Amino acid sequence: MIAAETEDLLRRLAPQVLGAVVRRYGNFDLAEDATQEALLAASMQWPQDGLPGNPRAWLITVASRRLTDLLRSEQARRQREDTVARWALTERGAPRPDAPPAGDDGDTLVLLLLCCHPSLSPASQIALTLRAVGGLSTAEIARALLGSEQTVTRRITRAKQAIKDSGVPFALPAPAELEGRLNAVLRVLYLIFNEGYASTAGTALIRVGLAQEAIRLARTLYAARPDDSEVAALLALMLLIHARHRARTAPDGSLIPMAEQDRSLWDRDGIDEGIALVTAALPRGPIGPYQLQAAIAAVHDEAENPEATDWRQIAALYDVLLRLDDNPVVALNHAVAVSMVAGPRAGLELVQRLGADARINADRRFHAVRGQLLEMAGDRTTALEAYRAAARVATNLQQQHYLNQQITRLQAPPGTAPHGQDLPDPG
Amino acid sequence: MKYMILTFASQQQYQEMVGQPSEQPAWTQEDWAALGAFMQAFNRELLDSGELVETRGLSAPVHTRRVQFKEGVPVVTDGPYAEAEEVLAGYWVVECDSFDRATEITARLASCPGPERLRVRAYADVRPIDEHQPDFEG
Repeated sequence: MIAAETEDLLRRLAPQVLGAVVRRYGNFDLAEDATQEALLAASMQWPQDGLPGNPRAWLITVASRRLTDLLRSEQARRQREDTVARWALTERGAPRPDAPPAGDDGDTLVLLLLCCHPSLSPASQIALTLRAVGGLSTAEIARALLGSEQTVTRRITRAKQAIKDSGVPFALPAPAELEGRLNAVLRVLYLIFNEGYASTAGTALIRVGLAQEAIRLARTLYAARPDDSEVAALLALMLLIHARHRARTAPDGSLIPMAEQDRSLWDRDGIDEGIALVTAALPRGPIGPYQLQAAIAAVHDEAENPEATDWRQIAALYDVLLRLDDNPVVALNHAVAVSMVAGPRAGLELVQRLGADARINADRRFHAVRGQLLEMAGDRTTALEAYRAAARVATNLQQQHYLNQQITRLQAPPGTAPHGQDLPDPG
Repeated sequence: MKYMILTFASQQQYQEMVGQPSEQPAWTQEDWAALGAFMQAFNRELLDSGELVETRGLSAPVHTRRVQFKEGVPVVTDGPYAEAEEVLAGYWVVECDSFDRATEITARLASCPGPERLRVRAYADVRPIDEHQPDFEG
């Protein structure tokens, strides 16, 4: 067995093993360390010695043994400190290491809910999820997040301490609480996905792995909650956006807006799977923000060229999304879609209303969309002012460069520069 | 050992780089694209060799806020730098065997593309990171 296959198997088994060990011994904190050590041992031994007969049982046994050691030394330390030892070294009973993995999806769900517990900071939720559910090592997480290993270690340690202090049991929350907790999981997975697209100078092409990891986690969640429309829709949304990633970045690392992308580079399989998922989820309802966003991404992905985009449908979907979620960025995207259907003046009217919204009226995106719609409406002078305002507040060099290109183009006498299609990328 | 590689640029240079003329003309599209491609390759190589710990580019100096402590009271000033003042623009933290190796990595930045007027006088600093390795304690 080659190392890559071992790694893939280990990553899949990681949450199952951790779930089984926590169920048996409690102590999420130390169980997580013990599981990491078992994974590490397997990654070194298996490629050499071959795969054990039951890899899952092997890992659970090794992790349990390691946990027992950890608990013993913890107990000894506590006794030394003259504290009452709280850890009982007795097993809780089920499940046995060789028990069939029937409850694995359930365990993985419980783990995800725990790692995304609302008492943790987003940064801690991300790091802990990637490690405990994704099976990534601290070094791998640090690399994926472009951060240092010490920072990641500290976040994970703090998160585990917070979970321990809160006394949250390793079990599904009460039904009344479940929906809110699941929403937190969806948000964290989408944060991980978007983090994969955030980049600093010269790193745009490096971070694809993190988006793929988010998709893997969303698949895991979908396996545990196949009937939840929002869960299916989040997976669909990620697939539909990620399907464009090869067309999204130029070789120099600059971003290419959707309207200018080479659509033959879009990943057909990802699009098909995403469309199938969201098509199945929508009629099931209840309607939610991820279903609407996935539907919008699907309409974009279905268009063979920018002109074929069904803007009427996109505008209608944004309209519904806006009613669910009063978000100014959604409102901006809605305005762009409306302008594509009913002309730039109709879109500008909507943008103008946002001019009083302090959440967005000083934002680069507000000015950039205004500039774009004003230009479409033929008002070059005011469009230039809007693009200049956008360039002034932009902090990202790629975006500044893009906006300066628009300014240069508008300053050139009419007819000398090609008119590009400069639609923002609502995906 | 870990080392930090630091690069520097002024507000004017930033502006010219992202396509807005100032004292000097704006960078051409080709220069900008070449810079991006160079950085992608440079980072990819460091990542593959396992030497890259982290890297970040900083926004233009104009977005800086300076927080001064006047008799213990913080006072915030926006954009404290002069237009032509060269300030920190980005950094890499690399982990490698020796200062010489870190210097070698830094020297590769000499082939970073850009307008000739900048290339002939560009520089980068490399500094050891202050890390305490505990001595053997028996």
